[in-house]
Amino acid sequence: MRQKGSLGWLKHDLTHRGPTAWLLTLGLFAFYFILYYGGRTLAGVAIPDLFTPIAQALHLPSKWTFYGLLYTLAIAIGGAYVIYKYRHNRYQVIRTSVVIFVQATLAFSVPWVLTIFEQPEYYFSYLWPLQIDYFYPSTILSMPLPFILFSLLGSLIMVPLLGIFFGKRWYCSWVCGCGGLANTAGEPFRHLSNKSSKAWAFEKWSIHITLFLALVTTALVIASWGVGQNYPVFAERAASLRSLYGFVVMTLLSGIIGVALYPVGGTRVWCRYFCPMAALLGLVQKFGRYRIRVKDNMCISCGLCSTYCEMGIDVRAYAQRNQDFVRASCVGCGICAEVCPRGVLRLENRWRRDPQELSMDALLNETYRG
Amino acid sequence: MHVVIVGNGVAGTEAALAIRRRLSPQNARITLISEEHPYFFSRTALMYAYMDTMQRRDLEPYEREMYRRQQIERIQNRVVDINADAHTITLRSGATLSYDRLLLAVGARPRMVPFEGLDEVKDGLVNFVSMQDLDHCERLTWSTEEAVVLGGGLIGVELAESFVHHGLKVSFVVREPYFWPAALAADEGELIGEEIRRHGIDLIVDQELQVIESDEAGRVSGVRLSDGRHLPAQMLGVAIGVVPNVDWLRKVKTSPELGRGIRVDRSFRTSLPDVFAAGDCAEIGGADEPPLLETIWYSAKLQGQRAASAILGDEVHYSPPIFYNSSKFFGIEYTTVGECVGVPSGTRSLFRSHPKRPITQRILFNEDRVLGFSMLGSRWDHTLLQQWIAERRPLDYVREHLHRAQFDVEFGRVDLTTFKEEERTL
Repeated sequence: MRQKGSLGWLKHDLTHRGPTAWLLTLGLFAFYFILYYGGRTLAGVAIPDLFTPIAQALHLPSKWTFYGLLYTLAIAIGGAYVIYKYRHNRYQVIRTSVVIFVQATLAFSVPWVLTIFEQPEYYFSYLWPLQIDYFYPSTILSMPLPFILFSLLGSLIMVPLLGIFFGKRWYCSWVCGCGGLANTAGEPFRHLSNKSSKAWAFEKWSIHITLFLALVTTALVIASWGVGQNYPVFAERAASLRSLYGFVVMTLLSGIIGVALYPVGGTRVWCRYFCPMAALLGLVQKFGRYRIRVKDNMCISCGLCSTYCEMGIDVRAYAQRNQDFVRASCVGCGICAEVCPRGVLRLENRWRRDPQELSMDALLNETYRG
Repeated sequence: MHVVIVGNGVAGTEAALAIRRRLSPQNARITLISEEHPYFFSRTALMYAYMDTMQRRDLEPYEREMYRRQQIERIQNRVVDINADAHTITLRSGATLSYDRLLLAVGARPRMVPFEGLDEVKDGLVNFVSMQDLDHCERLTWSTEEAVVLGGGLIGVELAESFVHHGLKVSFVVREPYFWPAALAADEGELIGEEIRRHGIDLIVDQELQVIESDEAGRVSGVRLSDGRHLPAQMLGVAIGVVPNVDWLRKVKTSPELGRGIRVDRSFRTSLPDVFAAGDCAEIGGADEPPLLETIWYSAKLQGQRAASAILGDEVHYSPPIFYNSSKFFGIEYTTVGECVGVPSGTRSLFRSHPKRPITQRILFNEDRVLGFSMLGSRWDHTLLQQWIAERRPLDYVREHLHRAQFDVEFGRVDLTTFKEEERTL
């Protein structure tokens, strides 16, 4: 039941897909549309460029720096709220502090400072395949050697290695800016994720398809750089795939849809259904040390864990069956353990292979024995 | 075989799933009957629905699709008659169902006392154990400024927390000298009392409710306590315990033998052939032992599973595991294992408390072994504590290995060496 008064109404409406939530989504769509297409003419309509003048007034180099500033502010303010809300939980306090720090430095001020020193605008917190450009030969060749080494070794060695030891959480809920925004400014919307087994089935397909597309696009762009001059038709196809991937995955899915859907679809729509990095780390996580441990016979099936799982994992299904588990999609934000009123859940890194019986079908349809 | 289960709470639903796990739909037809709600929901989460932390649908532990896939039939109706000779039950709708096995998992009802003025009350008095209670509370909250909660137990504190969440001015009336002496020691009760007061609740101890006052329309308007104090209230939450839901069985054609609950043996058989009972409504025991009435979630879940085995013809001899329970009082988590109350005099206890934060541990022991744990403010792996009791570990061992049972979040493990220790003899 919502709280009394018009503030109670507004709070409930905004966080439970009411008209206010839809208005906010609409506003976010408009914001991103103008951000991406402002100053251009689409189908004969001139889109006003609202953000470049603001950036100039603030003495910022471009509207993208202005957007970075807004993004960082959202993470810092949302992060402060999250730290206050979960102040009794040191995992949340430390994790959120790191998220704010990484955003303010590696994802905002460091690239800006780099451009001041006439270096390429390089983001140490974004790695291939999320930042797919960092494996494109044209990008690599434009960068100094240390950045190239960081790109290659970071994606090919650091990412899987840390994933084996700590699960995908080291990236998805400690470093990444997409996850950072979801876990800070997105906090009031985290319960909106879809918990149905249908959503799980969709996620398994959609995220691996995006990963496949990312791999194919990268491979073709590299091949076309190598042999493109001999096969102009192939080079043309590779270039159009590259721009298609850029538009659909980077602009539409990660940028516009990822954030604009917060108020109606929950915070991790991009991370859960589409992010190629999350797909890759999820595969690594299944073989690594990270798991959620469940205390035997202590679950009261209240469902707070499932409700507040931003990745739509039905945590309760495992908890009420005394089943330790690792799900590829789990980003290790730790909120299930935080909200559990009986302290049933614990995030852990340790070598132990637990047979995980629960498959998607078993959740709904345990096999008949006997 | 047709298994009819009356009650779709945790005991009934666990039994249905346990039976289905072993018998396919061709071999067993399973029907779950409940008047309260068409789907199993988590009673323990009622307060979260009331506080808008969860929506009603979130309370259901299984997707609705599950019932169709598992072919568990559901009937939303009330059973009004049992005919054990004909193996039939009658619903309020008039329909008759025949069964091969009948499981009564009808739970418990709120306990009530004939307070003075109770007969005039038509509205404003609430309990907090059923979906209908939640409806009732939600309807009344809009027209309530002040509320009184009666009864110093787990449901009472949940209801008080929910009221506070809705901005009501709450008085919490407890008959005992401190909060929940049925489970807590005095200093633990004080610690929880402080937490309750810190949230703006007027915790009134050592007082009983004398009179319920109501206005002309019959809505609760206030209460009078045993010291004569008057508290205005438009809602009165009564949470003074629960009793097995058995009154309806006194009117049926063939009733199973009743005590305080439905009498069953250690394999959950009632006095009627092919009729079983489990969960909060069951009173377990043979002729020469004290009856066992467990009214907690964990027992109901276990009993439902064990009763399902018995229904399927297994040899079942239920004896409860080493007691454990858990709860949360506002921000303070609570875990208890083993015997912490009603222990023989001469039992000793080690009381450990954090110098600054509201974190305590109470370990009960005698000369050669530990008997029980009562832990507040941090998380514990109760299975390890249970194991130590089962292994009859002495206090020194437990004290040395206590950190192994800590279950706090990463980076949040409490440093056990900083605790003050005090030994007492009860």
